[in-house]
Amino acid sequence: MPILRRRSLLAAAAALSAMPRAVRAATPLAAVAEKDAVVAFGHIGPVSDGGWTFTHHQALLAAKKAFPAAKFLEVESIPVSADATRTFRQFVENGANIVFVTSEYGDLLSSVADDATDTAFLECNGHRQSDNESSYYIQHWMVSYVLGVAAGRMSKTGRLGFVGSFPVAAVYGCANAFLLGARSVAPHATMQVILINSWFDPQASSQAASALIQNGVDLLYTHLDDASCLQVAEKNNVKCATWNTDERRLGPNAYVSSLLLDWNGFCVDQIGRRLKGQWTGGPITLLPMGHGTDRDAWGATVPPEVGREADAVRARIMGGWNPFAGEIRDAAGTVRVTRGQSMTPMALYEWNWPVEGVSGLRG
Amino acid sequence: MVIGPVGAPGTLAPRPLVAMRGITKSFYGTLANDGVDFDLRAGEIHALLGENGAGKSTLMNVLTGLYQPDAGEILIENHPRRLDNPAAAIEAGIGMVHQHFKLVQNFTVAENIHLGWEETPRRAGAAALEARTQALSERFGLPVTPGARVADIPVGEQQRVEILRVLARGARVLVLDEPTAVLTPSEVAALFTALRGFRADGNAVILISHKLGEVLEIADHVTVMRGGRSVAQCPAAGASRASLARLIIGDLPPSGRAVAAPLPDVEPVEPRADPDPLPARDVADPAASRRPSAPPGIAATAGAGPSVPHPAPTMVLREVSVRDARGVTLLDRVSIEIMPGELLGIAGVAGNGQRPLAEVMTGLLAPSEGELLLDGASMRGIGPRGFASRGVGHMPEDRLRTGLAATLPQGENALLREYHLPPSTRFGWLFDPAGARRLARGIINAAAVNRRDPSIPARNLSGGNQQRLVAERETRISHRLLVAAYPTRGLDVGAVAALHAAMHRLRARGVAVVLISEEIEELLDHADRIAVLCAGRISGILPVAEADPEKLGLLMSGQSLASGAPVSA
Amino acid sequence: MSTRTTWAVQRVPEVSGGVRLLATALSAILALIVAGIVLRLCGLPPLALGARVLHASFGTRFGIEDLLLLASPLAACGLSVAVMLRVGLWNIGAEGQFFVGATGAAAVGLFLPVGGTGTTLALMALAAAAGGALWIALPAAARLVLGTSEIITTLLLNFVARLLVDFLATGSWRDARSSVTAQTPRIHAAFAKLPRDWHLGGLHWGIALVIALAAVVALLFRYTSWGFELRVCGANREAARYAGMPVGRRLAEAMLLGGALAGLGGMIELAGTVHRLQGGLSNSYGYVGIIVAVLAAAAPVGVLFSALLMAVVLNAGTVLQTQGLPASAAVALVGLILLFVAMGERLSHYRIAVIRPRATPAGTGSAAAASGAAE
Repeated sequence: MPILRRRSLLAAAAALSAMPRAVRAATPLAAVAEKDAVVAFGHIGPVSDGGWTFTHHQALLAAKKAFPAAKFLEVESIPVSADATRTFRQFVENGANIVFVTSEYGDLLSSVADDATDTAFLECNGHRQSDNESSYYIQHWMVSYVLGVAAGRMSKTGRLGFVGSFPVAAVYGCANAFLLGARSVAPHATMQVILINSWFDPQASSQAASALIQNGVDLLYTHLDDASCLQVAEKNNVKCATWNTDERRLGPNAYVSSLLLDWNGFCVDQIGRRLKGQWTGGPITLLPMGHGTDRDAWGATVPPEVGREADAVRARIMGGWNPFAGEIRDAAGTVRVTRGQSMTPMALYEWNWPVEGVSGLRG
Repeated sequence: MVIGPVGAPGTLAPRPLVAMRGITKSFYGTLANDGVDFDLRAGEIHALLGENGAGKSTLMNVLTGLYQPDAGEILIENHPRRLDNPAAAIEAGIGMVHQHFKLVQNFTVAENIHLGWEETPRRAGAAALEARTQALSERFGLPVTPGARVADIPVGEQQRVEILRVLARGARVLVLDEPTAVLTPSEVAALFTALRGFRADGNAVILISHKLGEVLEIADHVTVMRGGRSVAQCPAAGASRASLARLIIGDLPPSGRAVAAPLPDVEPVEPRADPDPLPARDVADPAASRRPSAPPGIAATAGAGPSVPHPAPTMVLREVSVRDARGVTLLDRVSIEIMPGELLGIAGVAGNGQRPLAEVMTGLLAPSEGELLLDGASMRGIGPRGFASRGVGHMPEDRLRTGLAATLPQGENALLREYHLPPSTRFGWLFDPAGARRLARGIINAAAVNRRDPSIPARNLSGGNQQRLVAERETRISHRLLVAAYPTRGLDVGAVAALHAAMHRLRARGVAVVLISEEIEELLDHADRIAVLCAGRISGILPVAEADPEKLGLLMSGQSLASGAPVSA
Repeated sequence: MSTRTTWAVQRVPEVSGGVRLLATALSAILALIVAGIVLRLCGLPPLALGARVLHASFGTRFGIEDLLLLASPLAACGLSVAVMLRVGLWNIGAEGQFFVGATGAAAVGLFLPVGGTGTTLALMALAAAAGGALWIALPAAARLVLGTSEIITTLLLNFVARLLVDFLATGSWRDARSSVTAQTPRIHAAFAKLPRDWHLGGLHWGIALVIALAAVVALLFRYTSWGFELRVCGANREAARYAGMPVGRRLAEAMLLGGALAGLGGMIELAGTVHRLQGGLSNSYGYVGIIVAVLAAAAPVGVLFSALLMAVVLNAGTVLQTQGLPASAAVALVGLILLFVAMGERLSHYRIAVIRPRATPAGTGSAAAASGAAE
């Protein structure tokens, strides 16, 4: 059962306000009456993907419910090309007061934002910050670590596999955290990574999953937007953990768990601040486990004691424990985090080196 | 070479296998077949001869169900049959192999054999089809590689596939349209062996060919067509090349000279080691007397002749041979000298080397062997642009495909030879549209094209006007030589006269003219000398005073006039 | 001979530019009417949406700037295709040449430390032209030596080009800070924006470069004997050979020029708009360039206008999405308009003639009306 769906907006807002945010002397954007407000969502994929974009679409629906008088614009499948700039400009042309873009568009977004200073821009997985631009993302590494603990217990061969998109920070974070979680209970576990250069390509992800299984991998993890890996795992009688939503019906025996996403609380909160004249641009918001992302209920074939052990780790993390503490070596054997040191949220967010035991990612 | 099978033709089956009676077919008022009778007996190879347009193809298209005759009937084994379409003809046992094969290049031999054949098994893998093809191949003695892609096999084998395709469908009558045109000599021999085997099984072959030597080698019977009628049907055994050639060309109006002598004693013009410039002027004068209106210029040139007893030839071809990419010889050791102010006619049945000869003379084709001189200078390594800039013009055989860019305006077509020269182009690269347009208008006006607007696409002009444009464009640059291939084809009387007049004007200015034509009368009326092409060779060169249809016919059939023996290497 | 009055569709031998323009305009209007009916059936207000599209495209400074920004890579690719159409060859590979051109430009922009922006941009342009030409050199050689169809080879190399960009952008040229897609770091040499007081401040000088390229190609076509030769080579290679033109060489030159133009398009997009080498640099601009060139009948200056037309149509798709039309429906509408426009252009070559026993064919003036009716 999805844990997050029932979470009240209030709890989310309270959690967010407790988040560490660099305080800047920025003037908030002027308040807007709800009936005049225009909220825009620009999606990277199709809302029917059953994954990443689907969860953002749920946030839009939640926002519609929270602000029934506001006007909503939604464009899906915006390519990361100059077309994106044109689409974002159209949002501004249509009077958008706040724009969510559900993936990093970088310069393509900021060139519009710089010219539209009255519009708030929130870029998922972005880096820019200015008076009217901010970013948001999830602390997916924490969830990955919890899933990794279960994986370390469940894998018989100790060989884990990860099917990823591009060599970007999210992939490093996911693969590294998952393996570190696994190694916390199975010190000799390894992780092989295959990247398919796409976020949604069922053909390629199936091939990658098959290749990993043929290499002796018996537990897969993927952050892609489709469920092909899970289906391949089910066919080959191995296990698989996924991202985005509960997909257990597609591979009931293979399903370990999933990294669930829930943007509803964050988006509704941000829109509310914008309307009330409290919104300012600034540094990124990294939603912690339990407030935007979490593990799904454990799969049917996960032994109850494994689930309990992983949940205990989850509880420790939510209690403030940082599992990413030294000593951590990279794949080349160099110590990157010394004993006594631990990685900051920003270091985790911009992770760009593979930990010891991860193969298939460049250092 | 032994001619004919052991059993004499006609003795195997007294009744004809196929009898065509009174076949008449007209197209838009032109009679292509005029009451043609044609008999084909089982166990014979029957050659069908005739010039282009004599009606051979029409007759065969009637037999293979492509055309319906206006009148007449077809009897197959004495039973009248209607052949409404090619399928009906195939069912009646008649199959045709066209000159241009109709095979699917990307399919294998076996797939091509089985394509569209009702006996093809419903579910058969490649191996099964190839086994069936192998069996057929052995049965008919036509070796093929069943698994090979058609595009990858030689032309000779493609032809065997095409024949096998027809035979596999139970054909008893095989119609072959110029089957040897694309074959090498060894492929020809293999084909003939297969045809003899087919004949020995009591089947029949109809062979359309222009090569009289081959016909005499393989055929049992010969039918000659001329002007849409069947003019002779005779056993091959009693025929000679000369007699066949005479039948094919027919009786032209007597030229008043030496008709009687069947084998006139004229020295054959064989390649000579030491070319001796021909006394061009001497032969020009008697010929001129026959011309309806000899241009005055000729007399002047002729008058200048005696003071220069051996003028330098404009163009010399010395032992020029041309082979295509496959190594088939297109021109075989051709030696010609063309004198200034001479109009040299090239006679011969179409397809005997006229096109390569014209292309060699204009730089489009480089000789594989031999040498070509223009005004005494070797032209080795010089292309069509170099020939044109040295004063060689060319009216090509196929004006729509070669002489004109049909989709472009006629103005641009008019400039094809001078677009890179002033006034069209300055400094060698700067195109001046205004200057070019003035020049194009000038050429169009001089050509007297009926539509003067330079922007009209060339394809929207009539054939005659297209040819006028090409003629004017080419005569403008022909300072030394004009090569005109079939320039009067498809033109009306007035256009033909204008064209001839233009050639005589050039000739009068001392420009050499090469006129390639199928029409012996045209050559006799206008040429100073006539060279005859046969199978890529010059079988003879005659001054027009000594030429007559009889002699030309012999030369066209490949015989030399002195010995009467076929010219063969 | 028929004695009854009958109708027949006839090909018109000579069609004036005006008639073709009219046919194109008529079919575009017709497509819009059909699109409007479909929208109405879907419960959306077609007129309001149309007004929105028009306003978004032409009513604002942003809109016009966006149109020109989108039109410039389309025009560069269209020019590339048009140059090859001039010699009767199809460049299906402008997409790949665009990417490789951008790759060459990015290599200069990322790794060449010397010089000011002007020098760097000039070197980037050179590298882009060389890259685009290099990418068509193989198809050109295959075409000239083996007679291999350039349609297949240029098309296939598009995929190779895209993989090359992915290889570099995910590999050694990767920007480690990028979160979502593989891309290179930002390239700092960029086209300057147009002066503010021209009221088109969002535009960069790359657009002027595209217009200049079109003008240069037009001048080459019209005012050099080389351009004349290309035209004859395209119309009839046999006739060109007969007239003594170096046909193979001209084909190769046209192909290389086409490749270089598409490559320059990649550089202009890189240095003007995107500033990073990445897989989304071209959103099928090379393929749209084929439509652009065909609509312009391969005329270089015409390419500028048909690129603008295509930009309006594609931009309309974006605008319609912000108005609540699903992405797939917007794509379908864009396809519908293109289909109609292409059909209209073709149909303008035909007329419906009344054939009476002694028919006097309808005049050319009625051809437009007839072609309009034919749709």
